[in-house]
Amino acid sequence: MTQETPTERAAPMIKFSNVNKNYGEYRALVDINAEVARGEVVVVCGPSGSGKSTLIRTVNRLEEIHSGTITFDGRSVHGKMSGSELNHLRSRVGFVFQSFNLFPHLSALENVTLSPVKVNGMKQELAREKAMMLLDRVGLSSKAKAYPAQLSGGQQQRVAIARALAMEPPAMLFDEPTSALDPEMVGEVLAVMRNLAAEGMTMMCVTHEMGFAREVADRVWFMDAGQILETAEPSTFFSAPQHARAQRFLSDLRH
Amino acid sequence: MLWDLIDIIRDNWLLLLIGQYPNGPLGGFAATLILSTLSIALAFPISILIAFARLSKNPLLLWPSTILVYVARGVPLLMLILWVYFMVPLLIGANVPGFVTMLVTLVIYEGAFLSEVVRGGIVALGRGQMETARALGHSYFGAMLYVILPQALYNVMPSILSQFVSAIKETTLGYVINVPELTFAANQISNQLLTKPFQVFFILAIIYFLVCWTLTRLALTLERRIARKRAGMPGIPLSLNPQSQTAEL
Repeated sequence: MTQETPTERAAPMIKFSNVNKNYGEYRALVDINAEVARGEVVVVCGPSGSGKSTLIRTVNRLEEIHSGTITFDGRSVHGKMSGSELNHLRSRVGFVFQSFNLFPHLSALENVTLSPVKVNGMKQELAREKAMMLLDRVGLSSKAKAYPAQLSGGQQQRVAIARALAMEPPAMLFDEPTSALDPEMVGEVLAVMRNLAAEGMTMMCVTHEMGFAREVADRVWFMDAGQILETAEPSTFFSAPQHARAQRFLSDLRH
Repeated sequence: MLWDLIDIIRDNWLLLLIGQYPNGPLGGFAATLILSTLSIALAFPISILIAFARLSKNPLLLWPSTILVYVARGVPLLMLILWVYFMVPLLIGANVPGFVTMLVTLVIYEGAFLSEVVRGGIVALGRGQMETARALGHSYFGAMLYVILPQALYNVMPSILSQFVSAIKETTLGYVINVPELTFAANQISNQLLTKPFQVFFILAIIYFLVCWTLTRLALTLERRIARKRAGMPGIPLSLNPQSQTAEL
């Protein structure tokens, strides 16, 4: 695989071309061809085990692939590269985990400043200033000094979003960001994501929140058995899904 | 009996405390404490490196470190002491003081044990923390340094303290290669008095017990505090946390 040159602004932010991944005999991803355009919000949905999380985790190479190419912002993700090139690439992909994964030994503020300072070499004072702005943006500037154990799940996930944003990523990936939350905390996290989308952030979200998909997504990708079976605008997808599997999935959700 | 004990302590407390220093080498309880503290202090950074090697996928790091740990844990400490005692002079062609021999042996031995403690602490954190740090762009060692080790080492502090207690007890074996530590001093006293070995070694046992028991209590307190902090409830009473990894003495 050759290193692609950074392409013009119109090129897609994330591009999957013929991506395959297997776990032994099991085919986790099958011939994935899809694009996330700049500024686009894509929601990936589908039944459990359909490969949604695997797909999103290939974008910053938390999962390896067996064939095909993935480009992020014009650069090949799975090509040959040194460790530091991969670290740099990862630092530019904002990633939010289902289980928040805040660093429990650091305060909310320190969680947000750690990577800009240690990875990007940003000055501590500047990083703190920026982190306070980001915490303010997710509505948690009053909790800057709190440790993760003192925050609710929803608050932790909002700090995790601020932490990812601190690296100024051109796109944000969300891997079921609300699935580990108590129902009453889902709204606050979705509100932050909604604001991000409104500000024009490129986003790829694996989520079961169909209300969020309907309202915020530009496109919905429906996955089953490692394949993207359908991509459509949410209005089309939710009112008239084409694929039989998608129809069944949606009717199961309604019950 | 009680008067015997008091007499022995009154006549020999300085020998028990510092050996024959300043007329001879520093010994007694001071040497025991220096030996065990120094061995843990030196073994600690080494144990982190061994733990890294044991977690590595590179066979050149994985295999030697695994063999080292298994040998050190599978052989009696006394055996290791005798090996170092007889081998090191052959290897470097010069005699080595018993204190140094004992220190080197303890560092290897404690290093192997502590490395498993450290490795356990790292593995216990789960993959999520490392994965998150890597996703933010940290290198493997950056993630270890800023994210994994601060948590892992904090969590295993009670076990490290327990290992220190073991080290104190293990220094007694220095006696067989004439390291002038506490047991050696007690034996000197017993040899002088000739007729009171029971009393002398009773005093010795009490000293070891008091020191080790105090440290074990400290490890337990520390452990409860860490468990409480991890649960994010600084105010919870101690008695509500029945789980404990450190055995009481």
